Amino acid sequence: MKFRAVMIDTGPMREFSNIVTTISKLSKECVMRLSDDKLYFIVSEDNSGPTPPVLWCEIPQDMFFSEYQMIGIDEDHKDIYLGVVSANLARSLMTLKSAKCLKIKLTKKQCPCLTLEIEMPSSTSQQTRQVTHDIPVIVVPRKLWSEFQEPRVPQPDISIELPTLKQLRTTVDRMRTMSPEIVIRASSEGRLTLQIKTSMAKVSTRFKDLRVEAFEGPIDHSDSETESQTNEDMSNVCYCRVDAKKFSIFLSADQISHNQTMCSIVHKKLIILCLQTEENVKLQFFITGIVY
Amino acid sequence: MDDGTSEYYFTASMDTGKSLYSLLKAIQFQECAVFSAMSEGLKLTVEEGKCVQASAYIPADNFTEYHVRTDVDVMFKISIAVLTECLNIFGASEESSLKMYYRSEGSPLLLVLQPQSVHNVMTDCEISTQTANSVLELKDEDASEVAKLVLKATAFLGLLADLERSCDIIELNLSPDHPNVSIITYGMQDRSCIDVPKSADMVESFSCDQPVTLKYQLPHIRLIMKALAISSKVVLRCSSNGILLLQLKLEKEDQRQMFSEFYILPLLDD
Repeated sequence: MKFRAVMIDTGPMREFSNIVTTISKLSKECVMRLSDDKLYFIVSEDNSGPTPPVLWCEIPQDMFFSEYQMIGIDEDHKDIYLGVVSANLARSLMTLKSAKCLKIKLTKKQCPCLTLEIEMPSSTSQQTRQVTHDIPVIVVPRKLWSEFQEPRVPQPDISIELPTLKQLRTTVDRMRTMSPEIVIRASSEGRLTLQIKTSMAKVSTRFKDLRVEAFEGPIDHSDSETESQTNEDMSNVCYCRVDAKKFSIFLSADQISHNQTMCSIVHKKLIILCLQTEENVKLQFFITGIVY
Repeated sequence: MDDGTSEYYFTASMDTGKSLYSLLKAIQFQECAVFSAMSEGLKLTVEEGKCVQASAYIPADNFTEYHVRTDVDVMFKISIAVLTECLNIFGASEESSLKMYYRSEGSPLLLVLQPQSVHNVMTDCEISTQTANSVLELKDEDASEVAKLVLKATAFLGLLADLERSCDIIELNLSPDHPNVSIITYGMQDRSCIDVPKSADMVESFSCDQPVTLKYQLPHIRLIMKALAISSKVVLRCSSNGILLLQLKLEKEDQRQMFSEFYILPLLDD
């Protein structure tokens, strides 16, 4: 097993640091999967079972790394899976925003480590400083690889563009103080509604004129808990009730500069939030619906 | 008014709900407030025990449209915490217009908010209302005013912030003679004293004919700190029955004025 990569461009370095920071907010641990053409970050819930992971992130290596070499376990198992404490990685990569160069390699010290060598410019002279971080990792054995496979999710009923994440996050954070759960509703006419209901208040924020990428309606509401809005045709509306905190954490990904965010909803079961960047990084968050 | 809202008990709209938000935030030390709409303006009142009463008053001219039925009492209890969260739903950096509707007794208070910079989004809130408990009547016409001070709010805020947090009791000594104002706090093992002569920078005006000593719970006095932070001046009035009244005017960019008022009951001598 061997892995060695070099990053020299400031844009991707900043991006990489932002991605890892976002992941560290989401979970204590994550799995870093290295393959020939892509680097993956995967976060799954402890008792994952058949549920999709919480986060699936794909980073095309050629957009980020100027050098990238790796050799997997053997011919049939070309990838490397590493378990890492995401906060450790995030903290070490914090300085990347002002760094000149990052070398990252898999090393064997007292335990397997990801060694980051970061070259920092000096503010006073032409010389540079070199900072080395050794981050302990766990090499995930082959028999557990299947737990980190690409998620297979049901066909979403709707995929709709999201408004700016910053705006969305402000609103979700206000709602979060009032209720632990938020209902997200999307219609094929491009409307997205966030709603909370408590004994004190009912608050709905409606966005309209959003682009709908796909709609697989009509939606069957026959078993619904009478969300009757008599003047609206419900067959083009689907919704999902989710944990407000998880939703808000995803929205903190707004610090990753992105060009597209989509929200896909599997009616009542799942929402998939997908963020794509200039550099073709794809971040997908999966939030399972709360059903009573 | 022909838009079908004329039979509503109360309707109002405003171009920006921001100052209303900061005013309400300043008196939000309890979960619930009494909301009362009068033809002169809107008033929200919060009480702590029966010891402190704070109210926010928004004269009707702050609203672009303000309508309240005069043949009924428009008064109800509402969660001020929820109300402020709703007013701030688009965040502090966003100016948003606000409309309020209250149909009749028992109906929820409806709010419609729309940010000024983004047009494809709006929020509507239905906040449940309850029958209001009566509010303490602390204005006593028979009690005379024994002292009146006008202080600079920031300086007074700084003074309160300097007081030892663990102290329970604050004593206010006002006198026509030097030092005109002396503030004494009593803690577990200490006593500290701050003198403020009327010539001090922070005192804008001072009137007091007879020396007077009043004691209050310090935590009660601290409740005004948020309001001080958004005001430029504070008027303190001590009445002969010991009740301290603090009146503050919200600092705003436009000419319209909004106020907050705190009545604080004194500690009786033991």
